[in-house]
Amino acid sequence: MIKKITGAKLLVECLINEKVDVIFGYPGGAVLPIYDELFKQKKIRHILVRHEQAAVHAAEGYARSTGKIGVVLVTSGPGATNTVTGLTDAMMDSVPIVCISGQVPTHMIGNDAFQEADIVGITRPCTKHNYLVKDVDNLAGAIHSAFFIASNGRPGPVLVDIPKDIQTFRTNYEGKTNTKKISYYSPQVDPNKDSIKFFVEMIGQSEKPIFYVGGGVINSGPKASRLLFELIKKTGFPCTQTLMGLGAFPTSDQQALGMLGMHGTYESNLAMHQCDLMICIGARFDDRITGKVSGFSPKSKKIHIDIDPSSFNKSVNVDLTIQGDIKKVLKEILNLLNKKKMHFQKQKYSNWWKKINKWRKKDCLAYKNSKKLIKPQYALERLNELTKNLCPYITTEVGQHQMWAAQYLTFNKPNHWMTSGGLGTMGYGLPAAMGTQIAHPKSLVIDVAGEASILMNIQEMSTLKQYRLPVKIFILNNHYMGMVRQWQELLHGNRLSESYMESLPDFVKLAESFGAVGLRATQPNDLDLMIKEMIEIKGPVIFDVCVDETENCFPMIPSGATHDQMLLGPNDEFEDGISEDGMVLV
Amino acid sequence: MTNKSDKYIISIMVDNEPGVLARVVGLFSGRGYNIESLSVSEVDSDKFLSRVTIVTSGTKIIVDQIKAQLNKLIPVHNLIDITQQESFIAKEYILIKIKKNQKNQKKTFDIANKFNASILSDQNNELILEMVGTSLNISKFIKLLRTFGIIELTRSGLVSMPIDSSFIKK
Repeated sequence: MIKKITGAKLLVECLINEKVDVIFGYPGGAVLPIYDELFKQKKIRHILVRHEQAAVHAAEGYARSTGKIGVVLVTSGPGATNTVTGLTDAMMDSVPIVCISGQVPTHMIGNDAFQEADIVGITRPCTKHNYLVKDVDNLAGAIHSAFFIASNGRPGPVLVDIPKDIQTFRTNYEGKTNTKKISYYSPQVDPNKDSIKFFVEMIGQSEKPIFYVGGGVINSGPKASRLLFELIKKTGFPCTQTLMGLGAFPTSDQQALGMLGMHGTYESNLAMHQCDLMICIGARFDDRITGKVSGFSPKSKKIHIDIDPSSFNKSVNVDLTIQGDIKKVLKEILNLLNKKKMHFQKQKYSNWWKKINKWRKKDCLAYKNSKKLIKPQYALERLNELTKNLCPYITTEVGQHQMWAAQYLTFNKPNHWMTSGGLGTMGYGLPAAMGTQIAHPKSLVIDVAGEASILMNIQEMSTLKQYRLPVKIFILNNHYMGMVRQWQELLHGNRLSESYMESLPDFVKLAESFGAVGLRATQPNDLDLMIKEMIEIKGPVIFDVCVDETENCFPMIPSGATHDQMLLGPNDEFEDGISEDGMVLV
Repeated sequence: MTNKSDKYIISIMVDNEPGVLARVVGLFSGRGYNIESLSVSEVDSDKFLSRVTIVTSGTKIIVDQIKAQLNKLIPVHNLIDITQQESFIAKEYILIKIKKNQKNQKKTFDIANKFNASILSDQNNELILEMVGTSLNISKFIKLLRTFGIIELTRSGLVSMPIDSSFIKK
C-alpha cells in the first residue's frame, strides 16, 4: 500500500524526481504548505529572490547556462502577476522554465478573494502551456507534463497553478514513470529523409553560401554546436550568428563573420544580402535580422532548419524546410555528406570569400578611441581581453551596452551568453547572472549593464549578498537610456524626451550598502587595473564605468531599410531618409 | 504566390479541458486573425475530445501560419484543413422566429417547403422555424423571411467534414 501524501509533499517529490536541485522563489500565503515541505527536506535548494520577476530571470540564467529546466515558485495574486514579464521573456527566447504558482483554495476561485488573480488566464498567451490543478489526483500528472512540455520540442515556460487546498489534500504518488501525463504532446524531432537529400543537393549547387545560425542550435544542446562546427569546417562556408546564437559557433573562428542584423557587422549583412544560398539553422527571420522583408536577401535560395514548423515561412518564404531537432538534422546531413564522399573545393568559393574579405577590411567595428574619455567599445574590448581566458559567463541588460557586448566580446562556447533577445527586457541581466552563478559557483559571471537597466532589478543586490554570489556587474554608465537617445537623435530631431537619467545613485556606495565592492573608472588608463581588481575580488562587485556619454552604436540598419543600406558611423547619412513605414517600426 | 484572401474551414480535435476554447480563440485575437464562424462541442466522451470548426479567411501564407500556430497548442491533437480536401460537406443550422399573420401564412409555408425547413412552434402569433443548409442557403432563407418581420434568429456556425477517405484522426 502506498501511503497517501499531501499535494505539497507530492509536488516536492515530483520536483526531486525531475532532478530539480534549485528553485528560485518567494513565499506567500497561498504557497505556505509547499514552503513547509521545502523546509523539511535537503535535496532542493531554495533561492530567495527579492522580486518574482527576478525569480524567472534567474531561472532563465540557470536554464540557459546549463541546458536544464529552471524552476520558479511564487505565491498567488501579485506573486504570480510579477512573473509575467519573465515568462514572456522565456517564451520569446525559448527558455525551458517551470513556474509553480499558488492559488486561492478551489472553492474561492472566482470570488475576487484576497491575492486572487486568474494567472492561468493572464499567462495563457505568454506560456507554452499552463495548468490550473483542481483535483489533487491530477497534480503529479500536471507537474510531470509541465516538465516534459517545457523541455521537449521548442522549449518554453510552463506554469502550474496550484490552489492552496489542493496542496493540503492527500493522494497517492507512484513515481514519475508510473504517473500518466495529462497532456498529449509529441513534437516531431526526426527529420524527413528526403529533405536531407534536397539539402545536400542545394549546398552542392551553391557558390555563395552562408550559414545563418541562431539560438535553436544552443537549445538543442552542446552536441548540436559540435556537429555544426563539423559541418561548417567540412564545407568551409562562412557563418553569421544571431544575437541568440552567439557561441553556437566560435565567434573568433576565421569562418565566423560576427553577428548579423540591425547592429550586425558589415560583412555579415552584406553576405546575407548577396548570398545565393542561405542556410538558416535554429533562427526565425526576426525583424531585427531581416530589416525590410521585401528587400531581404533577394537573390538567394533559402533553407530553414527548425524544430518549430510555425517558424517556417512566417515572415520570409523559404525554398526548403527541415523540421526536427537540430542535432539530429545535423547528424543526418553529416552522415549523408560522408556517405556521398562530398568535398567542397576551396576554389569554387574563392570569389565569394574574396568579396567577404573585402567587406571585412572595412573594419566596421572600428571606433575612434580617446585618451580622455572611456569609450564603451574600448571598455568592452579590455574586459574581453582580460577575461577571455577565464571563459566567463556573460549576461546583459538591454540597450546599447547589450549590442556592444554582442559586438566586442568573444563567444567561443555555447551556453555562456545570456541576453534578452526577443522581448528585450531591461532588468534581465542581474537576476540572470544570479541564476547563472548559482549553477556555476566557481566561474566568473559578468553582467554587462547600463545604468538605466540595472536599476530595474537592483533589489537583487540583496540576494547576491545573502547567497554570497560573486557576480560582477560591469555598468557602462553614460547617463542616458542610450538606445532610446540614439533613436531620438536619428528619428526624432534630437529631442531627447525623458531619456536622460537624472538622480542616479552613487553606484560605489550602493554596492557597499549591500556588502559588495564598488569600483569606479573615469579614465581609459584606469580600466585594466580595475578590471583585474574586479576579477580578483571574491565577492560581488559593481563596477561603474563612466563612459563617453555621446557614443552611439554602429553599424546600424535603420528601421525600414535593407541589409545593404547600413549606417557605419555617426557621419553616415541614410540616403533615402527614414521612410514613413520605417518610422512606425520599433 | 497568391495574395488572394480565401475562406478556409479548419477542423480541430482538442482535449475537452477547461480553457481550451480560450486558447484557440486567444490565438486568433492575439495574432490578429479573423474568425468568421466557430462551433465547438464534445465528440468523444471517453477520451474527452472536442471538435472545433473554425471558418477563417486570409491568404494561403496566413492560413498556413494559423494552422501551424494551432498545431502548437498543447491540447490540439490534430487538425485538418477541410477546404483542401477534394470534396466536403459544410452545413449550418438555424432557428428563426418570425411574426405570423394571415396574409403571409401561405408564402411562409412555401418558403419553408422550398428550403426544407420545419415549423417547430406556432404560438402567440409567432412561428419558430428550423433549417439545415449551406451558409449561402441559410442567408437566402433569412433574406426571404425578412419581409415578414424577423423577431430573432440564431445560427450554429458551420460544421463540416470531408467526403473522401480523409478524416480527422483522434
